[in-house]
Amino acid sequence: MPAKFDLNDSSVVVIIGSGAGGGTLANELARRGIPVVVLEAGKRIEMTEFKNDEVWAFSHYTWFDSRTTSGSWSVAKTSPDLPVWTCKLVGGTTVHWGACALRFQEHEFKPRTRYGEISGASLLDWPVDLKEMEPYYDRAENRMGVTGTHGIPRLPVSNHGKVLFAGAKKLGYTQFETTNMAINPVPRDGRASCQQTGFCVQGCTFGAKWSTLYVDIPQAEATGKAEIRSESQALRIEHDASGKVTGVVYVDSTGKQQRQKARIVAVACNSIESPRLLLNSESSKFPQGLANSSGQVGKNYMRHTTGAVFAVFDKPVHMYRGTAQSGIVMDEARLDTKRGFVGGYQMELLPQGLPSFAQNIIPGGWGRDRAWVVDRYANVAGLWVIGEDMPRETNRITLHPDKKDQFGMPIPNIHVDDHPNDVAMRTHGYERGSALYDSIGAKRVVKVPPYPSTHNMGTNRMSTNPRDGVVNSYGQSHDIKNLFVSDGSQFVSSGGENPTLTIVALTLRQAEYIAAQMSKHEI
Amino acid sequence: MKDAKTSEKVTRRRFLAGSAATIAAAAASGTAILMDAKGAWSVELKSLQPEEARTLMVFVRDLFPHDRLPDSFYATAIAPLSDEAGKGPAAKRVLLDGIARLNSLARTSTGKSYTVADEKARVAVIKQIEGEPFFTKVYSTTVTSLYNQPKLWPLFGYEGPSSAKGGYLHRGFNDLNWL
Repeated sequence: MPAKFDLNDSSVVVIIGSGAGGGTLANELARRGIPVVVLEAGKRIEMTEFKNDEVWAFSHYTWFDSRTTSGSWSVAKTSPDLPVWTCKLVGGTTVHWGACALRFQEHEFKPRTRYGEISGASLLDWPVDLKEMEPYYDRAENRMGVTGTHGIPRLPVSNHGKVLFAGAKKLGYTQFETTNMAINPVPRDGRASCQQTGFCVQGCTFGAKWSTLYVDIPQAEATGKAEIRSESQALRIEHDASGKVTGVVYVDSTGKQQRQKARIVAVACNSIESPRLLLNSESSKFPQGLANSSGQVGKNYMRHTTGAVFAVFDKPVHMYRGTAQSGIVMDEARLDTKRGFVGGYQMELLPQGLPSFAQNIIPGGWGRDRAWVVDRYANVAGLWVIGEDMPRETNRITLHPDKKDQFGMPIPNIHVDDHPNDVAMRTHGYERGSALYDSIGAKRVVKVPPYPSTHNMGTNRMSTNPRDGVVNSYGQSHDIKNLFVSDGSQFVSSGGENPTLTIVALTLRQAEYIAAQMSKHEI
Repeated sequence: MKDAKTSEKVTRRRFLAGSAATIAAAAASGTAILMDAKGAWSVELKSLQPEEARTLMVFVRDLFPHDRLPDSFYATAIAPLSDEAGKGPAAKRVLLDGIARLNSLARTSTGKSYTVADEKARVAVIKQIEGEPFFTKVYSTTVTSLYNQPKLWPLFGYEGPSSAKGGYLHRGFNDLNWL
C-alpha cells in the first residue's frame, strides 16, 4: 500500500524526481523502513499504456518545458528549443532509456591523474574509484537484471547487430558483443522476457526492460513507507536559520502551491533541473543558491561526445526489429592518446523507426538526395558514437535572467562549447564508423550531427575538497548535510559509457550512507 | 519478408496511375478538396483554396520526393497545416504568403506558376526560401505528418508496431543471411 504523509510530517525524506536516481533511492530507503515522499513533475503513465508509436511516445513522455541554449555546440542550431531529450514521467528517463548498462572503466574515475592537465577542461578525479564501486555495480546489475552478469545470458544478436559485428570483424576489432543490457532474456524477478519488439525507447510493453516505473516505484510503495506524488513540480528547497534544509515548496497536480516538510531532501531531477532547483533556492543565507559555496552548481555540464553514422546497403537489414542496443563495439573505448584525444568512445547500435529516421537522418535536409536515403530505409544500419566529453566550467546551466516557466520559475539556459578533444574524438568516431560500414560494402554512409542530449551529466559534481565541487562521494552537499544530490549531476566526468548503471550504483551506495547517518542521528 | 524493391515497383505504377489524376476541387463551403479522379481517396483542407492546396502539396512532394508515393500521402501530410491555419490568422498568413511567394518566384524564373514549372525550377525556388518561416513551418510539420502515416510504412519496408504481434522474436529479428 502506498503511504500517505502529512505535509507537516518533518520525518520524511523528500526525493525530487523518480528516475534512475530518485526511483532507486526511494526503493532503497523505503525497504529500510525510512519514510519517503517522491515529488515527480511528470504524470504517471503505466506500462499498460505504452504504445509502439514513436511520435505518440515522444509527445507524451518528453520534458518539453522551455529551455534556452547558447554556445557553439551544433544542438543550439539543430534543436534550440529542445536541446535535451529526457522524460517528464514517473520513472523519468528509465522509461525511454536503451538499457545499455555498462560500468565505467578504471581510468575513467581518475581522469585528472590519467589524462594530465588538459587546457580548457576542468578535469578532476572522482572521490571514488572502480574498486570501491565494484560491489555497488554488482548489486545494481543484479537488481536490474543486466545480461552477461550474474549468470544472466546475453540477448541474441539481431540483424542490425550482425551488420555491426561483420564490419567490426573486417576492421580487426575484437571487442564486440550484444551489449550488457538491463533487459530480461528470460523471465526474471517477476518480469517477462524480451520479445524483440524493437520499441525500447517508447517504453517496453512487456516490461522486460528495467525501469523504476514498474520495478522500484511499486516495490517502494509496497513497503507502506513511500508516497509518490506525480505532477508535482518542485520550485524551491527551504532551510532554517542553522542552514539545514527543512522542506520543499512545490506545485501539486491541481496547480496549488504546497510545502512538504522534510528531514532530508534528495535532488534527483537530472543535470539540467537539479542545478536549476538549487540555484532557484537562493536565500539571504545562501545568495548563490543552495549547496553552492563553491560556485560549482550548474558548471561542468557534460552530455557525451556523440555523432551517428548510418549506412545504406544493397540488401535488407530492418534495423527496427529487435532490441535497440543489440550490439556494441568497445575497441575504441580504450585510453590511447595516440589517436589525438584523451578518453575513448563506444560504438553502439542506433536503430530508428521510419518516422524518427526520416526526421533525423539529415536535419533540415530535403530533395532527391535525402529522399534517396529514406527510400532505402529497409536497407539501412546505423551506429552511435558515444564517448567521454571534457568537463568545462563554462559549459553550464544558468537561470535565464527574464524568461520564466508556467509556475514563475526561471527557465534554465544550457551553454555548451565543444572542447577540441570532443571535436577530435567525434571526427575519429565518424571516420571509424564509416570505415566499419564501408568495409562490408555500404553503398553510402551518412554522418549525422549530435541529437538533443540524452545523457546528461555533471553540474553538481562530487569532490573531496569542498572548494572544487558541490557534493562529497555520497552525493551529500558539502555545505548542507541533510541535502543530497542523487542523479547524474554528481558525475565528475562522463566516461565513455551510458550513465544509468553508474547512477544506480552510486544511489545504492548513497542509500546505505543515508540510512547509517540517520540511525546515528547525524542527519 | 518483402523487400523494399518489390514494393517500389508496385507502388511506382500506382503512383503514375494515380498522381496525374489528382484533382483539386472546391467544396460548396469554399474549402479545398484534394482527391483522386477515381474517388479512391480525398482530403479536405478547410483553410485553403483548391489551387493553394495543390501548390502546397507539390511543394511538400518536392521537399520529400518519393516517386513510389501517390499524392494521397502528401495531401494527408499537409492537412495539419490547413487545420492550424484555421485556428489563427497569423498561421494562415504564413501559409498563404508562402504559397504566394512560391508562385511569384516561379513566375519570375520561368513565367509559370509553381505547380506548372519543372522540377529543376521548383528546386531553385525552394533554395531561395530555405530558412524562411513558411519553409520552416511546412518542413517541421510535414517531416512528421508525411512519414508517420502507417499506410505509408510498408512502402518503405517498415513493419511498425510489433507488440500486439508478439514482437519480432519469431518474425525475422535475426533473419539476415547475406553477410
